[in-house]
Amino acid sequence: MSQRIPLSWLQLKHEKMKLFAAVAGVMVSVVLMWMQLGLMKALFASAVVFHGSMNGELVIVHSQYEHLLHSKVFSSRLLYRLRGSPDVKDVYSVYLAPGEWKNPWNGEMRSIQCYGIETDSVSLKLPGIEQHLKQLRNTDVFLYDRMARPRFGDVVGAVERREPVELELNRRRMSLTGVVDLGASFGVDGNVLVSHANFLRLFPERKSGEIDVGVVKLRPGISVVSAQKQFQRVLGKEVQVLTVEQFKELELIYWRSATPIGIIFTAGTVVGFFIGFIVVYQILYTDVTNHLPQYATMKAMGFSDGYLYQLVLGQSVQLATMGFIPGSLIAAAMYAGLRKVTQLPLYMEPMRGVFLIFATILMCTFSGMLAVRKLRSADPADVF
Amino acid sequence: MKTDDANAVINGAGINFSFGQGELRKQILFDVELAIQPGEIVLLTGPSGSGKTTLLTLIAGLRKLQEGRLDVLGHSLHNASQTDLLQLRRKIGFIFQAHNLLPYLTALQNVQVMFDLQPGVTIEEGRERATRILQQVGLGERMNYHVSRLSGGQKQRVAIARALVGRPELVLADEPTAALDGTSGREIVNLLQGLAREQKRPILMVTHDVRVLDIADRIIEMQDGHLTASSRGSSSAENHPAKGVQNEPDIAAVTF
Repeated sequence: MSQRIPLSWLQLKHEKMKLFAAVAGVMVSVVLMWMQLGLMKALFASAVVFHGSMNGELVIVHSQYEHLLHSKVFSSRLLYRLRGSPDVKDVYSVYLAPGEWKNPWNGEMRSIQCYGIETDSVSLKLPGIEQHLKQLRNTDVFLYDRMARPRFGDVVGAVERREPVELELNRRRMSLTGVVDLGASFGVDGNVLVSHANFLRLFPERKSGEIDVGVVKLRPGISVVSAQKQFQRVLGKEVQVLTVEQFKELELIYWRSATPIGIIFTAGTVVGFFIGFIVVYQILYTDVTNHLPQYATMKAMGFSDGYLYQLVLGQSVQLATMGFIPGSLIAAAMYAGLRKVTQLPLYMEPMRGVFLIFATILMCTFSGMLAVRKLRSADPADVF
Repeated sequence: MKTDDANAVINGAGINFSFGQGELRKQILFDVELAIQPGEIVLLTGPSGSGKTTLLTLIAGLRKLQEGRLDVLGHSLHNASQTDLLQLRRKIGFIFQAHNLLPYLTALQNVQVMFDLQPGVTIEEGRERATRILQQVGLGERMNYHVSRLSGGQKQRVAIARALVGRPELVLADEPTAALDGTSGREIVNLLQGLAREQKRPILMVTHDVRVLDIADRIIEMQDGHLTASSRGSSSAENHPAKGVQNEPDIAAVTF
């Protein structure tokens, strides 16, 4: 038995204020869930932008390496040993250390993450980096992170105005040669890229050839997993050979345990879910209660319980749809706004959308199912 | 009364019914016996609390039969399953004291909804039949009004259209005129009688309303849970076909 007149919809739209309130409730809930999940993902994603930019399949770090801010150096000779392997196309070394940035406008000192990278080849796949590598070979020049937090000064504005930027990094006069996109994260407010030679000038205590991260680019068609096993065996226990995904995961494991971000945003998502759940439940419940004599009458006339459940649950699904679409549009606008202000990688990811569609339908269906229990109190014998 | 009549639409004997348990147990019906023949219009009267409505809900399969035998439209109600009772109710046209129409639907939609119970009827056919019966009850002009915009009498007409549009094998009505003024009440019963006669639908109607007793073929009286008297009504299917609908000629002319 199914509806041939759209009863659910006609009942929903009969009371416009109630419909509006229910849709608004679902909308708020959908926006909240988008924001919470998006922020959580973005915060974690921002922590592994560097990791994701590796121009290779395998990453080599010291066996005691934990995360970017807790690195330990190893000899690049280990890395060069892999160059002889027929599976390897190229290897790259990366130095990293926190440097002291002096804001050229107000003189404030800030810690900034510095990377010493290859200038003869691309070791980090950052958009547009190739065009800067040649200039990066000059003495005392650096690339600046366009998405760094504003506390480092209006470097980006100066670049747009084509003004030269000179400042002190680790008390050394440096000049800016270009900008790339890397992004701020939990422990890092901004990034600077320099050549190996300039890195060693900035950090005189560091020795040439004692690197933090090695990147291995395999020849096409080589199995990453078997190469990983083989290299680990060859290089011994001093280093760990990781896939890019494992390298990212290591960083995320640390930030998940070091910060309550996962818990906070998951809790926020659950709160969003319950807001929608309770609003929809309240509205459907009062609706069922108000129509109880009509439902009892329909039961008496031979309409099955299933038909009436369908009538209420149909309204749930319609509310879910009507709340989800505008809620998602609002979330998209908020993502765009926040992306601009915080430089966080907030995007409307399709998978999250699919997840939220299901969450919204589940939320409305749950509340519908709870409201429908009231239908049992519609006793058809009471109609007479 | 011939209780062993195989043709009877309703056939019951030895019906006892009580509410409550133990000390609080109160017997409502005592050894009730009744039979209603095809096409018969029977009125059930009696004072409040005499058990009329309880008997009606038993016949409608809305309450569980406790004791006795009751066959309605070929369904034996003794230990009948919920599914069986639901099937039975779909063959019955109900008219209630409170019309209980769906307030968010138009008159036409309220009638059309009944075809959700009959998946074999197409949407077009359903709309056509609903339209025709609403014209017959005199609401052709107001079919697309929401029921909130109709008067009490008009709502009860929609309820009658809703009860009859599915071509029920039996019509059960509970005080259909109670909420209406004299003129509207008269029109409603005339309408009901006309439609029932024309379709040869038996009607069992509970009523207090002495003004409408004349439409009955037979009047059954109830007192304290006992059927006390059964008398021939002033109208009879054999002698006066379609009496009382003479003021509404279009009803007899149209079939649905």
